[in-house]
Amino acid sequence: MPPDAAARPVDFRAGGFEPRPGRTAPWIAAAAILGAWQIASAAGLLPDLFMPSPEAVITALGRMWASGELTLHLIASVQRIAIGFAIGAAAGLAVGFAMGIVSLARAVGLPIVSALFPIPKIALLPLLILWLGIGEPSKVATIALGVFFPTALATKTAVDGVPRNLIRMAQSFGMPAFAIVLKIVAPGAMPGILGGFRIAASIALILVTAAEMIGAEHGVGALVLGAGNLMQTDKLIAGVVLLSIMGLLVAAGIGALEKWLLRWR
Amino acid sequence: MRAILGSALALLFAASTAHALDKTSVAALAFVSSAPIFIAKEKGYFEAEGLDVEIKFFQAAQPVAVAVASGDADFGITGLTGGFFNLAAKGALKIVAAQSREEPGYNFVAYVVTPKAYEAGFRSPKDYKGKTVGITQVGSTFHYNIGMLADKYGFKLGDVSLKPLQSVPNMVAALKGGQVDSVLLPANQALGLEKDGSGKIIGWVHEHTPWQLGALFTSTKNTTEKRPMVQRFVKAYVKAAADYADAFHQRDAAGKRVFGPKADALIPILQKYVKPEPSADQVKASVSFIDPQGRLLVKNLYEQVAWYKAQGMVDAGADAKTMIDLGFVQGHLDLPK
Repeated sequence: MPPDAAARPVDFRAGGFEPRPGRTAPWIAAAAILGAWQIASAAGLLPDLFMPSPEAVITALGRMWASGELTLHLIASVQRIAIGFAIGAAAGLAVGFAMGIVSLARAVGLPIVSALFPIPKIALLPLLILWLGIGEPSKVATIALGVFFPTALATKTAVDGVPRNLIRMAQSFGMPAFAIVLKIVAPGAMPGILGGFRIAASIALILVTAAEMIGAEHGVGALVLGAGNLMQTDKLIAGVVLLSIMGLLVAAGIGALEKWLLRWR
Repeated sequence: MRAILGSALALLFAASTAHALDKTSVAALAFVSSAPIFIAKEKGYFEAEGLDVEIKFFQAAQPVAVAVASGDADFGITGLTGGFFNLAAKGALKIVAAQSREEPGYNFVAYVVTPKAYEAGFRSPKDYKGKTVGITQVGSTFHYNIGMLADKYGFKLGDVSLKPLQSVPNMVAALKGGQVDSVLLPANQALGLEKDGSGKIIGWVHEHTPWQLGALFTSTKNTTEKRPMVQRFVKAYVKAAADYADAFHQRDAAGKRVFGPKADALIPILQKYVKPEPSADQVKASVSFIDPQGRLLVKNLYEQVAWYKAQGMVDAGADAKTMIDLGFVQGHLDLPK
């Protein structure tokens, strides 16, 4: 090695790839896409028959809002999701905790839950309609089932992940079992459980849309399907936009819940 | 040598006539109501007009209209729905001739109620107020049927709970399970339900609200750029419709429908195309009234568009006048002033 080589400065190269969320870039990108879409529609490149312009979609949303139709659809869907999610999540938490703590529950429950988890719940809708009728119960049950399985599995995995030494320490200090579950296992498992909720919430949104396609007068799924049947493409895309907004709101809601529940971290 | 020359000439001739046939296509449902298309094809009426017609089958009325609007088929024949009028309102489609209509004396679609609802006094189509009714889709012909009843008997459509169930089998299941009080069904299914005791027919649509149920239509582009071709197609279609009417519209002195040898001659043609393949009796129960000259009840078409507009199912700018081309069939019925 020549002596002068040692004197050559070396730049810091290991910067890595560090993607950072930007503040303005996403808005500019969204505006560019919408702008291009609007211009393509106005120029006649996208036939109005098959792809309405963003303006037409916004107008359709405005019209539905003014006539009260939008509120009717939203209330119907949100109600179904809320009830279905509450039932499914509560049952999922109970079964998940049981499988995480009690050997018998794990031995019996885990194979059953694992076997039923991959079934697309929407395939069960016709069966649920036969059992529960065409009204609300069958739709809520579909959502509840869809929410139950990911919640139960995520809870069980999260309980498994709680550091054993904390539990052992509490046990050696003579803490009652119930208090251990409430004060150590539950908070420790919370991040994993909330991760499960995130997945369950998006499944609930998919299922409410699908479930409303049979025998529902109102609901965002009924709106999308009805608009499709009537070839009202502006209303159809307005319904899809609503679903997207609902998905974003649910994700934001769970994010807020996460912040609040995990504030001890 | 001469024989070889002769057969070569014959071949050449055959090839040239085959070449002379214009290729075209029609989108249809595999239902008995598409019968004139099947008859025109099987009896060579299309070929006689120099047309080589391919029948493209679809599962529902909606895709038939979309196929014609998008140019995947030149013609379409099916029931008229809200979706159809929305496509037509955007200038894509033109109605050119009639398909089925609800004609007094010809059973086609029935109002069927559950035995339980019947016992509880639901015995007339005037009693739909407050009932739960299964339909296929929003904006379907069944939806419009209930709408016409509401207008005629003075109840509000909003007072009827309509459940879109997506398919006729779902509607039958919902009626059998008692999840709806009533459904509207084509004669074949309605009679089947009444026979096995799971439904009661309380009336037929033609007794209360006769109307133009279906139509033959093509793209607006075809009516301007290929007008002679459309004329030839409609001519063959109407000829087949006349055969159909001759065979299936016969009634005896008491008004009961009778099916003679002409019907028996056409039934195998229908059985060839209709899916699932019907028995001869099922065909007889399903044959609707199709105008022998392809004439439309034009005023009713205007009324349909007005009704869909009033319900907000068809865009407010829609104009029935622009959706119909009256130039292909002579003597349309009930023209609005």
